[in-house]
Amino acid sequence: MGRAKIPRKSTNIDMTAMCDVAFLLLSFFILATKQKPPEAVTVAAPSSVSTKAAPEKSILITLTKEGKTFLMMGDDIKKKDIIAAVNTAKSLGLSDAEVTKISKMPVIGVSLGQLKPLANRADEFSAAQMPGIPAKDSTNNELVDWIRGITTAYAGSELSLNDLQQMILLKGDGDALYPDFKNVKYALKKNGLYKFRIVTNSENAPVGSELYKLNRENPAGKKE
Amino acid sequence: MADIEIKTKKGKCATKAPAKKVIRVDLTPMVDLGFLLITFFVFTTTMAKATVMDIVTPVDAPPGNTVCNSCALTVLLDKDNAVYYYTGAFERVNLQKSGFAAIREVIQQRKQLLDSMGRDKSQFALIIKSSDSARFKNFVDITDEVTINNVKHYYIDELTAEEKEAMELLHN
Repeated sequence: MGRAKIPRKSTNIDMTAMCDVAFLLLSFFILATKQKPPEAVTVAAPSSVSTKAAPEKSILITLTKEGKTFLMMGDDIKKKDIIAAVNTAKSLGLSDAEVTKISKMPVIGVSLGQLKPLANRADEFSAAQMPGIPAKDSTNNELVDWIRGITTAYAGSELSLNDLQQMILLKGDGDALYPDFKNVKYALKKNGLYKFRIVTNSENAPVGSELYKLNRENPAGKKE
Repeated sequence: MADIEIKTKKGKCATKAPAKKVIRVDLTPMVDLGFLLITFFVFTTTMAKATVMDIVTPVDAPPGNTVCNSCALTVLLDKDNAVYYYTGAFERVNLQKSGFAAIREVIQQRKQLLDSMGRDKSQFALIIKSSDSARFKNFVDITDEVTINNVKHYYIDELTAEEKEAMELLHN
Protein backbone atom coordinates (compact mmCIF):
# COMPACT_ATOMS: atom_id res chain seq x y z
CA MET A 1 0.00 0.00 0.00
CA GLY A 2 1.80 3.03 -1.20
CA ARG A 3 0.75 6.32 0.30
CA ALA A 4 0.28 9.26 -2.07
CA LYS A 5 2.90 11.84 -1.46
CA ILE A 6 1.54 15.30 -0.64
CA PRO A 7 4.06 17.83 -1.71
CA ARG A 8 5.00 20.22 1.08
CA LYS A 9 4.17 23.74 0.11
CA SER A 10 5.88 26.73 1.56
CA THR A 11 3.69 29.14 3.52
CA ASN A 12 5.72 32.16 2.51
CA ILE A 13 3.44 34.78 1.01
CA ASP A 14 4.91 37.39 -1.22
CA MET A 15 4.33 40.66 0.57
CA THR A 16 5.62 42.93 -2.15
CA ALA A 17 2.21 43.71 -3.60
CA MET A 18 0.73 44.34 -0.17
CA CYS A 19 3.57 46.67 0.64
CA ASP A 20 3.00 48.56 -2.58
CA VAL A 21 -0.65 49.06 -1.75
CA ALA A 22 0.13 50.27 1.76
CA PHE A 23 2.57 52.89 0.62
CA LEU A 24 0.41 53.94 -2.29
CA LEU A 25 -2.43 54.62 0.14
CA LEU A 26 -0.07 56.39 2.48
CA SER A 27 1.25 58.70 -0.21
CA PHE A 28 -2.30 59.33 -1.41
CA PHE A 29 -3.47 60.40 2.03
CA ILE A 30 -0.50 62.61 2.60
CA LEU A 31 -0.93 64.38 -0.71
CA ALA A 32 -4.71 64.56 -0.54
CA THR A 33 -4.92 66.19 2.87
CA LYS A 34 -4.92 69.91 2.83
CA GLN A 35 -2.34 71.65 4.86
CA LYS A 36 -3.69 73.70 7.70
CA PRO A 37 -2.99 77.36 7.05
CA PRO A 38 -0.12 78.47 9.19
CA GLU A 39 -1.28 79.79 12.48
CA ALA A 40 0.38 83.09 13.05
CA VAL A 41 -0.79 83.56 16.57
CA THR A 42 -2.05 80.87 18.83
CA VAL A 43 -5.41 81.41 20.40
CA ALA A 44 -7.54 78.99 22.37
CA ALA A 45 -10.94 79.20 20.75
CA PRO A 46 -13.98 78.53 22.93
CA SER A 47 -16.23 75.60 22.13
CA SER A 48 -19.77 75.55 20.84
CA VAL A 49 -22.34 72.99 19.73
CA SER A 50 -22.28 74.31 16.18
CA THR A 51 -21.73 71.66 13.53
CA LYS A 52 -21.01 73.93 10.60
CA ALA A 53 -17.57 73.49 9.11
CA ALA A 54 -15.41 76.52 8.54
CA PRO A 55 -15.38 77.71 4.92
CA GLU A 56 -12.22 77.19 2.92
CA LYS A 57 -11.80 80.70 1.66
CA SER A 58 -12.06 83.09 4.50
CA ILE A 59 -11.04 86.36 5.98
CA LEU A 60 -9.94 85.63 9.47
CA ILE A 61 -9.78 88.19 12.23
CA THR A 62 -7.81 86.86 15.16
CA LEU A 63 -8.25 88.24 18.62
CA THR A 64 -5.66 87.26 21.16
CA LYS A 65 -5.91 87.04 24.90
CA GLU A 66 -4.22 90.42 25.25
CA GLY A 67 -6.75 92.00 22.91
CA LYS A 68 -4.45 92.27 19.89
CA THR A 69 -6.15 91.94 16.53
CA PHE A 70 -4.66 90.37 13.44
CA LEU A 71 -6.00 89.99 9.95
CA MET A 72 -5.46 86.98 7.76
CA MET A 73 -6.79 86.82 4.26
CA GLY A 74 -7.23 83.39 2.76
CA ASP A 75 -8.22 84.62 -0.68
CA ASP A 76 -4.94 85.21 -2.47
CA ILE A 77 -6.51 86.77 -5.53
CA LYS A 78 -8.20 89.56 -3.65
CA LYS A 79 -5.52 90.10 -1.08
CA LYS A 80 -3.60 92.55 -3.23
CA ASP A 81 -6.77 94.41 -4.15
CA ILE A 82 -7.66 94.78 -0.49
CA ILE A 83 -4.27 96.21 0.41
CA ALA A 84 -4.37 98.48 -2.62
CA ALA A 85 -7.85 99.67 -1.60
CA VAL A 86 -6.67 100.48 1.91
CA ASN A 87 -3.61 102.17 0.42
CA THR A 88 -5.68 104.55 -1.71
CA ALA A 89 -8.37 105.13 0.90
CA LYS A 90 -5.94 106.10 3.62
CA SER A 91 -3.28 107.52 1.22
CA LEU A 92 -0.46 105.51 2.70
CA GLY A 93 1.81 106.13 -0.27
CA LEU A 94 2.76 102.52 -0.80
CA SER A 95 4.35 101.65 -4.13
CA ASP A 96 3.18 98.69 -6.19
CA ALA A 97 6.15 96.64 -5.08
CA GLU A 98 5.41 97.37 -1.46
CA VAL A 99 1.79 96.36 -1.87
CA THR A 100 2.89 93.08 -3.43
CA LYS A 101 5.34 92.48 -0.63
CA ILE A 102 2.72 93.06 2.05
CA SER A 103 0.27 90.81 0.23
CA LYS A 104 2.76 87.98 0.49
CA MET A 105 2.83 88.20 4.25
CA PRO A 106 0.66 85.60 5.93
CA VAL A 107 -0.72 87.97 8.51
CA ILE A 108 -1.26 91.67 8.94
CA GLY A 109 -0.74 92.85 12.47
CA VAL A 110 0.61 96.38 12.43
CA SER A 111 -0.94 99.81 12.30
CA LEU A 112 -1.40 101.53 8.95
CA GLY A 113 1.52 103.85 9.60
CA GLN A 114 3.85 100.93 10.19
CA LEU A 115 2.98 99.20 6.92
CA LYS A 116 5.55 101.04 4.83
CA PRO A 117 8.50 100.36 7.16
CA LEU A 118 7.32 96.77 7.45
CA ALA A 119 7.34 96.30 3.68
CA ASN A 120 10.93 97.55 3.54
CA ARG A 121 12.22 95.37 6.31
CA ALA A 122 14.76 92.89 5.15
CA ASP A 123 14.47 90.44 8.01
CA GLU A 124 11.57 88.22 8.87
CA PHE A 125 9.09 89.71 11.24
CA SER A 126 7.00 87.07 12.94
CA ALA A 127 3.40 87.67 13.87
CA ALA A 128 4.13 87.16 17.54
CA GLN A 129 6.31 90.27 17.47
CA MET A 130 3.67 92.37 15.75
CA PRO A 131 1.71 94.80 17.90
CA GLY A 132 -1.59 94.01 16.24
CA ILE A 133 -3.93 96.26 14.29
CA PRO A 134 -5.05 99.09 16.57
CA ALA A 135 -8.70 98.55 17.35
CA LYS A 136 -8.88 99.51 20.96
CA ASP A 137 -11.53 102.16 20.73
CA SER A 138 -13.96 103.56 18.23
CA THR A 139 -11.94 106.74 17.55
CA ASN A 140 -8.81 104.95 16.42
CA ASN A 141 -10.14 101.70 15.07
CA GLU A 142 -8.02 100.83 12.06
CA LEU A 143 -9.83 97.58 11.65
CA VAL A 144 -12.68 99.69 10.28
CA ASP A 145 -10.39 100.80 7.44
CA TRP A 146 -9.32 97.24 6.74
CA ILE A 147 -12.87 95.97 6.62
CA ARG A 148 -13.77 98.86 4.35
CA GLY A 149 -10.89 97.83 2.10
CA ILE A 150 -12.30 94.32 2.04
CA THR A 151 -15.80 95.43 1.15
CA THR A 152 -14.48 97.72 -1.61
CA ALA A 153 -12.30 94.99 -3.06
CA TYR A 154 -15.20 92.56 -3.16
CA ALA A 155 -17.77 95.13 -4.29
CA GLY A 156 -17.28 94.50 -8.00
CA SER A 157 -16.96 90.73 -7.76
CA GLU A 158 -19.57 88.05 -8.17
CA LEU A 159 -19.79 87.63 -4.42
CA SER A 160 -22.90 89.01 -2.79
CA LEU A 161 -22.84 90.74 0.56
CA ASN A 162 -24.26 87.62 2.10
CA ASP A 163 -21.43 85.52 0.69
CA LEU A 164 -18.94 87.97 2.06
CA GLN A 165 -20.55 87.81 5.47
CA GLN A 166 -20.22 84.06 5.37
CA MET A 167 -16.52 84.44 4.73
CA ILE A 168 -15.73 86.68 7.63
CA LEU A 169 -14.55 84.67 10.56
CA LEU A 170 -13.57 85.81 13.96
CA LYS A 171 -11.30 83.61 15.95
CA GLY A 172 -11.00 84.86 19.45
CA ASP A 173 -9.29 83.60 22.53
CA GLY A 174 -11.79 82.56 25.17
CA ASP A 175 -10.06 84.74 27.72
CA ALA A 176 -10.13 87.89 25.63
CA LEU A 177 -12.13 90.63 27.26
CA TYR A 178 -15.56 91.46 25.95
CA PRO A 179 -14.74 95.08 24.96
CA ASP A 180 -12.05 93.79 22.58
CA PHE A 181 -14.66 91.67 20.89
CA LYS A 182 -17.01 94.62 20.86
CA ASN A 183 -14.44 96.66 18.94
CA VAL A 184 -14.19 94.02 16.25
CA LYS A 185 -17.97 93.88 16.12
CA TYR A 186 -18.02 97.65 15.80
CA ALA A 187 -15.59 97.58 12.87
CA LEU A 188 -17.76 95.08 11.00
CA LYS A 189 -20.96 96.88 11.80
CA LYS A 190 -19.52 100.19 10.67
CA ASN A 191 -19.12 98.66 7.21
CA GLY A 192 -22.60 97.23 7.01
CA LEU A 193 -21.62 93.70 7.92
CA TYR A 194 -24.12 92.68 10.53
CA LYS A 195 -23.50 88.99 10.33
CA PHE A 196 -20.26 87.21 10.86
CA ARG A 197 -19.02 83.93 12.17
CA ILE A 198 -17.07 82.89 15.18
CA VAL A 199 -14.60 80.04 14.94
CA THR A 200 -15.11 77.53 17.71
CA ASN A 201 -14.13 74.03 18.62
CA SER A 202 -17.00 71.65 18.30
CA GLU A 203 -18.58 69.93 21.24
CA ASN A 204 -21.61 67.70 21.52
CA ALA A 205 -25.03 68.98 22.42
CA PRO A 206 -25.65 68.39 26.13
CA VAL A 207 -27.75 65.30 26.76
CA GLY A 208 -31.39 66.09 27.41
CA SER A 209 -31.34 69.61 25.99
CA GLU A 210 -33.71 70.73 23.26
CA LEU A 211 -31.01 70.67 20.65
CA TYR A 212 -30.14 67.13 21.65
CA LYS A 213 -33.73 66.06 21.17
CA LEU A 214 -33.94 67.89 17.85
CA ASN A 215 -30.82 66.16 16.61
CA ARG A 216 -32.20 62.79 17.65
CA GLU A 217 -35.46 63.39 15.82
CA ASN A 218 -33.83 64.17 12.52
CA PRO A 219 -30.15 63.36 12.56
CA ALA A 220 -29.71 64.32 8.93
CA GLY A 221 -31.47 67.64 9.14
CA LYS A 222 -28.79 69.63 10.82
CA LYS A 223 -29.63 73.21 11.45
CA GLU A 224 -28.68 75.46 8.65
CA MET B 1 14.00 38.06 7.30
CA ALA B 2 15.86 38.06 4.10
CA ASP B 3 16.23 34.57 2.87
CA ILE B 4 18.92 33.54 0.60
CA GLU B 5 17.84 30.40 -1.03
CA ILE B 6 20.53 28.28 -2.38
CA LYS B 7 19.29 25.91 -4.91
CA THR B 8 21.41 22.90 -4.92
CA LYS B 9 21.22 20.74 -7.89
CA LYS B 10 20.86 17.21 -6.99
CA GLY B 11 22.94 14.82 -8.88
CA LYS B 12 26.19 14.81 -10.61
CA CYS B 13 27.90 18.12 -10.54
CA ALA B 14 26.44 19.59 -7.36
CA THR B 15 29.73 20.85 -6.12
CA LYS B 16 31.11 22.16 -9.37
CA ALA B 17 28.48 24.64 -10.64
CA PRO B 18 28.28 27.99 -8.88
CA ALA B 19 25.23 28.05 -6.57
CA LYS B 20 22.37 30.24 -7.84
CA LYS B 21 21.17 32.59 -5.10
CA VAL B 22 17.57 33.79 -4.95
CA ILE B 23 17.22 36.74 -2.59
CA ARG B 24 13.81 37.06 -1.06
CA VAL B 25 13.07 39.83 1.43
CA ASP B 26 10.21 39.35 3.84
CA LEU B 27 8.14 42.50 3.46
CA THR B 28 5.68 41.84 6.27
CA PRO B 29 7.15 44.38 8.73
CA MET B 30 7.30 46.93 5.92
CA VAL B 31 3.59 46.43 5.28
CA ASP B 32 2.91 46.77 8.98
CA LEU B 33 4.76 50.03 9.05
CA GLY B 34 2.89 51.29 6.02
CA PHE B 35 -0.51 50.63 7.47
CA LEU B 36 0.53 52.01 10.82
CA LEU B 37 1.47 55.27 9.16
CA ILE B 38 -1.80 55.34 7.23
CA THR B 39 -3.85 54.94 10.38
CA PHE B 40 -1.77 57.59 12.09
CA PHE B 41 -2.35 60.11 9.32
CA VAL B 42 -6.04 59.34 9.03
CA PHE B 43 -6.60 59.85 12.73
CA THR B 44 -4.56 62.99 13.10
CA THR B 45 -6.07 64.79 10.11
CA THR B 46 -9.71 64.33 11.04
CA MET B 47 -9.27 65.54 14.60
CA ALA B 48 -8.48 69.18 14.01
CA LYS B 49 -11.70 70.46 12.54
CA ALA B 50 -12.89 73.89 13.49
CA THR B 51 -16.53 74.81 13.33
CA VAL B 52 -18.11 78.18 12.96
CA MET B 53 -21.12 79.72 14.58
CA ASP B 54 -23.15 82.57 13.19
CA ILE B 55 -23.57 85.82 15.03
CA VAL B 56 -26.05 88.46 14.08
CA THR B 57 -25.53 91.89 15.51
CA PRO B 58 -28.41 94.33 15.69
CA VAL B 59 -28.69 97.33 13.42
CA ASP B 60 -28.38 100.63 15.25
CA ALA B 61 -31.88 101.87 14.60
CA PRO B 62 -34.79 102.92 16.73
CA PRO B 63 -36.42 99.75 18.03
CA GLY B 64 -39.13 98.72 15.66
CA ASN B 65 -40.27 95.45 17.13
CA THR B 66 -40.88 95.17 20.80
CA VAL B 67 -40.76 92.00 22.79
CA CYS B 68 -43.59 91.21 25.17
CA ASN B 69 -42.72 91.58 28.83
CA SER B 70 -43.18 87.98 29.81
CA CYS B 71 -41.36 86.74 26.73
CA ALA B 72 -38.11 88.53 27.39
CA LEU B 73 -35.33 87.21 29.51
CA THR B 74 -32.35 89.47 29.89
CA VAL B 75 -29.03 87.92 30.72
CA LEU B 76 -26.15 90.00 32.01
CA LEU B 77 -22.63 88.69 31.85
CA ASP B 78 -20.00 89.76 34.29
CA LYS B 79 -16.47 88.96 35.43
CA ASP B 80 -15.56 85.58 36.92
CA ASN B 81 -18.14 83.79 34.75
CA ALA B 82 -21.01 85.34 36.71
CA VAL B 83 -24.41 85.51 35.07
CA TYR B 84 -27.30 87.67 36.21
CA TYR B 85 -30.76 87.59 34.79
CA TYR B 86 -34.14 89.20 35.01
CA THR B 87 -37.40 88.80 33.20
CA GLY B 88 -39.40 91.50 31.53
CA ALA B 89 -38.56 95.11 32.24
CA PHE B 90 -35.66 95.94 34.48
CA GLU B 91 -36.28 96.36 38.15
CA ARG B 92 -33.56 96.18 40.71
CA VAL B 93 -35.34 93.61 42.85
CA ASN B 94 -35.80 91.31 39.90
CA LEU B 95 -32.13 90.83 39.23
CA GLN B 96 -30.93 87.39 40.21
CA LYS B 97 -27.52 85.83 40.28
CA SER B 98 -26.85 82.64 38.40
CA GLY B 99 -24.09 80.76 36.68
CA PHE B 100 -23.51 79.12 33.32
CA ALA B 101 -24.57 75.74 34.64
CA ALA B 102 -27.87 77.06 35.96
CA ILE B 103 -28.83 79.45 33.20
CA ARG B 104 -29.97 76.66 30.89
CA GLU B 105 -32.46 75.60 33.51
CA VAL B 106 -33.72 79.18 33.76
CA ILE B 107 -34.20 79.49 30.02
CA GLN B 108 -36.08 76.21 29.88
CA GLN B 109 -38.31 77.20 32.78
CA ARG B 110 -39.18 80.49 31.13
CA LYS B 111 -40.05 78.73 27.91
CA GLN B 112 -42.25 76.25 29.70
CA LEU B 113 -43.94 79.01 31.64
CA LEU B 114 -44.69 80.76 28.38
CA ASP B 115 -46.14 77.54 27.06
CA SER B 116 -48.37 77.03 30.10
CA MET B 117 -49.63 80.59 29.75
CA GLY B 118 -50.93 79.58 26.36
CA ARG B 119 -48.51 81.69 24.38
CA ASP B 120 -46.29 80.69 21.55
CA LYS B 121 -43.02 79.25 22.83
CA SER B 122 -41.12 80.66 19.88
CA GLN B 123 -41.95 84.16 21.06
CA PHE B 124 -39.38 83.76 23.79
CA ALA B 125 -36.51 86.20 23.38
CA LEU B 126 -33.15 86.29 25.03
CA ILE B 127 -31.44 89.63 25.46
CA ILE B 128 -27.73 89.40 26.02
CA LYS B 129 -25.85 92.20 27.69
CA SER B 130 -22.27 92.02 28.72
CA SER B 131 -20.15 94.06 31.09
CA ASP B 132 -16.67 95.20 30.17
CA SER B 133 -15.03 92.67 32.43
CA ALA B 134 -16.77 89.64 30.94
CA ARG B 135 -14.77 87.34 28.74
CA PHE B 136 -15.23 86.47 25.09
CA LYS B 137 -15.78 82.87 26.15
CA ASN B 138 -18.78 83.90 28.24
CA PHE B 139 -20.36 85.56 25.25
CA VAL B 140 -19.79 82.51 23.06
CA ASP B 141 -21.20 80.28 25.78
CA ILE B 142 -24.39 82.26 26.14
CA THR B 143 -24.90 82.40 22.37
CA ASP B 144 -24.38 78.69 22.43
CA GLU B 145 -27.18 78.36 24.97
CA VAL B 146 -29.42 80.02 22.40
CA THR B 147 -28.71 77.17 20.01
CA ILE B 148 -28.88 74.51 22.68
CA ASN B 149 -32.27 75.64 23.94
CA ASN B 150 -33.63 76.34 20.49
CA VAL B 151 -34.33 79.97 21.24
CA LYS B 152 -35.61 81.68 18.13
CA HIS B 153 -34.85 85.27 18.98
CA TYR B 154 -31.85 86.75 20.66
CA TYR B 155 -30.54 90.27 20.82
CA ILE B 156 -27.19 91.67 21.75
CA ASP B 157 -27.47 94.91 23.65
CA GLU B 158 -25.49 97.29 25.83
CA LEU B 159 -25.77 97.56 29.59
CA THR B 160 -27.55 100.50 31.09
CA ALA B 161 -26.09 102.41 34.03
CA GLU B 162 -28.79 101.09 36.34
CA GLU B 163 -28.06 97.53 35.42
CA LYS B 164 -24.36 98.04 35.98
CA GLU B 165 -25.01 99.44 39.41
CA ALA B 166 -27.34 96.64 40.40
CA MET B 167 -24.86 94.08 39.18
CA GLU B 168 -22.09 95.61 41.27
CA LEU B 169 -24.28 95.42 44.33
CA LEU B 170 -25.05 91.78 43.77
CA HIS B 171 -21.47 90.89 43.08
CA ASN B 172 -20.29 92.05 46.47
